[in-house]
Amino acid sequence: MKIMVCIKQVPHQDARLDINGAGTWIAEDNIKFEINQYDQHALEAALALKDKDAGTEVVVVSIGPERVTQSLRTALGMGADRAVHVKDAAADGSDALGTAKILAAIGKAEMPDMVFAGFMADDGNFAAVGPMLATLMGIPHTTTAVRFTKENGKVLVERELEGGALQVVELTAPCLVTTQTGMNQVRYASLKGIMAAKKKPIDVKSVADLGLAGQVGEAAAKVKLEKLYTPAKGQGAEMLSGSVDEVVGKLVGKIKELGLL
Amino acid sequence: MGSILVVAEIQKGKVREASYELVSFARKIGAATGREVKSLVMGQGAQAHAEEMAKKGGGEVFLADDAALADYNLDAAFAAVKAAIAAASADVVLLSNTPTGWDLAPRLGAALDAAFVPDCFNVEVEGGELVFFRRFFNGKLDSRLRPTALPIVATMQPGATAAFEGTADGKVTALAVSVGACGTRFVEMKVAEARGVDLTKADIIVSGGRSLGGAEKFQEVIQPLADALGGAMGASRPVVDAGWLPHEHQVGSSGQIVAPKLYVACGISGAIQHLVGMKASNFIIAINKDADAPIFEVANLGVVGDLFEVVPKLTAAVKTAKG
Repeated sequence: MKIMVCIKQVPHQDARLDINGAGTWIAEDNIKFEINQYDQHALEAALALKDKDAGTEVVVVSIGPERVTQSLRTALGMGADRAVHVKDAAADGSDALGTAKILAAIGKAEMPDMVFAGFMADDGNFAAVGPMLATLMGIPHTTTAVRFTKENGKVLVERELEGGALQVVELTAPCLVTTQTGMNQVRYASLKGIMAAKKKPIDVKSVADLGLAGQVGEAAAKVKLEKLYTPAKGQGAEMLSGSVDEVVGKLVGKIKELGLL
Repeated sequence: MGSILVVAEIQKGKVREASYELVSFARKIGAATGREVKSLVMGQGAQAHAEEMAKKGGGEVFLADDAALADYNLDAAFAAVKAAIAAASADVVLLSNTPTGWDLAPRLGAALDAAFVPDCFNVEVEGGELVFFRRFFNGKLDSRLRPTALPIVATMQPGATAAFEGTADGKVTALAVSVGACGTRFVEMKVAEARGVDLTKADIIVSGGRSLGGAEKFQEVIQPLADALGGAMGASRPVVDAGWLPHEHQVGSSGQIVAPKLYVACGISGAIQHLVGMKASNFIIAINKDADAPIFEVANLGVVGDLFEVVPKLTAAVKTAKG
């Protein structure tokens, strides 16, 4: 079995988010990056299948600049077999559909039996690329998986809805499943894994290699991100100042005033 | 000029409130661009829902009534929406950002080669063009997005606007849908297991976030304050994902929706999905290191500080006050 896993490198959850000079993205200098949380669970889901069947090949795919190599090495260190890295400025500024087109070109070449992607990315929160990729590959999909089993070509997924409700969906493989956080416990790359990863191949591709010149990237995007900005402050909270003891005194006063003490 | 198609959802035997919020957005776009508002109701035995939608601003309501649409199925819903788009000659399609919306909308977006803008909290019309507003980075930043092509497929955040409440006579038109072979099959619905803790009944909730750093810190720092106040302990999603607390403690759109008399958020930055679960609380106190954390937008009182310093002192002061 071959499994394709889509991962995105995103600013670290605790990274400071300053807007860039053009007001169209964050300033990426001097911030740390990590594999998107949701995608870590997608990778873990694939590696869990490989644990059960050593004949399984896990291929991780990512798009982005040179720094993405580090995330791919991490994924290989965790146990993925090889990586495909679309490293091309022509892919920059793609909208979700453009990103899905790039991944679909790889998907069509790889012909995986199963595709995993995170439900959404922690930067854009679009939650679009996974289902779009499935559509362009002509395979079924489901979203927000918290449980997953695969037997005899039948995939059974529990997808998380609202308020703790779950929907059980059966899919015919090949199919694409997007993973919710908390679906599994993500493994760490072992030292042995990290050493082995150094010898695993990362296949670097350009947009032209994929036959998509002119079809993706900023110029082809149908949605333009005109402005990224700090949300307008509403009335907001009354901020308490002073020493910790003073602040605590004010809090207790308020709780008393509410009749809760 | 095409029309605007509102894709309505039936939930628990009625049209979702969010569907009438879509009607509000659609009518705003329609008034400014000259587009007609039309709707789709899909389900089994859904005639009454379609009639209600037609009376309450949905315009011409296409009714896809089919056994295959009784429970949500991606392929069947996709076929129904595609048929409705064709019947309505729609070039703007609105869905709600719900489990149905986030499963179905991107598939439509890709199949139609559309401009896709999900999870928006507002749409404005500027010079005849639509501009959408949505959050990035889990609510830390806002954005404006301009589709540069038609059709547009957009999903709107539930609760982002008031539901349309006027009456406007529309009509119901039957829509034939042919559902072919399905790659997905609805099996069943499950509800979360019985809960040991019912946060929805608590008057006071003290919640902790990822920055607590571990399960033991909840017992050392959060639980004592909850106990002192006579309240229950809550948590944000990452805490439950990490296994520090069981799911029944999770406050947010995928956990419990709560509205206690007092909500104390400790080290919770305020991701949208958490805010949805607690912003209706009567009074909110937020304690966080980061002065820019979105939690301070919904809080009544805010403290910028180290929770490990503030919370134990607050616990002691509450105990003293109680005597």
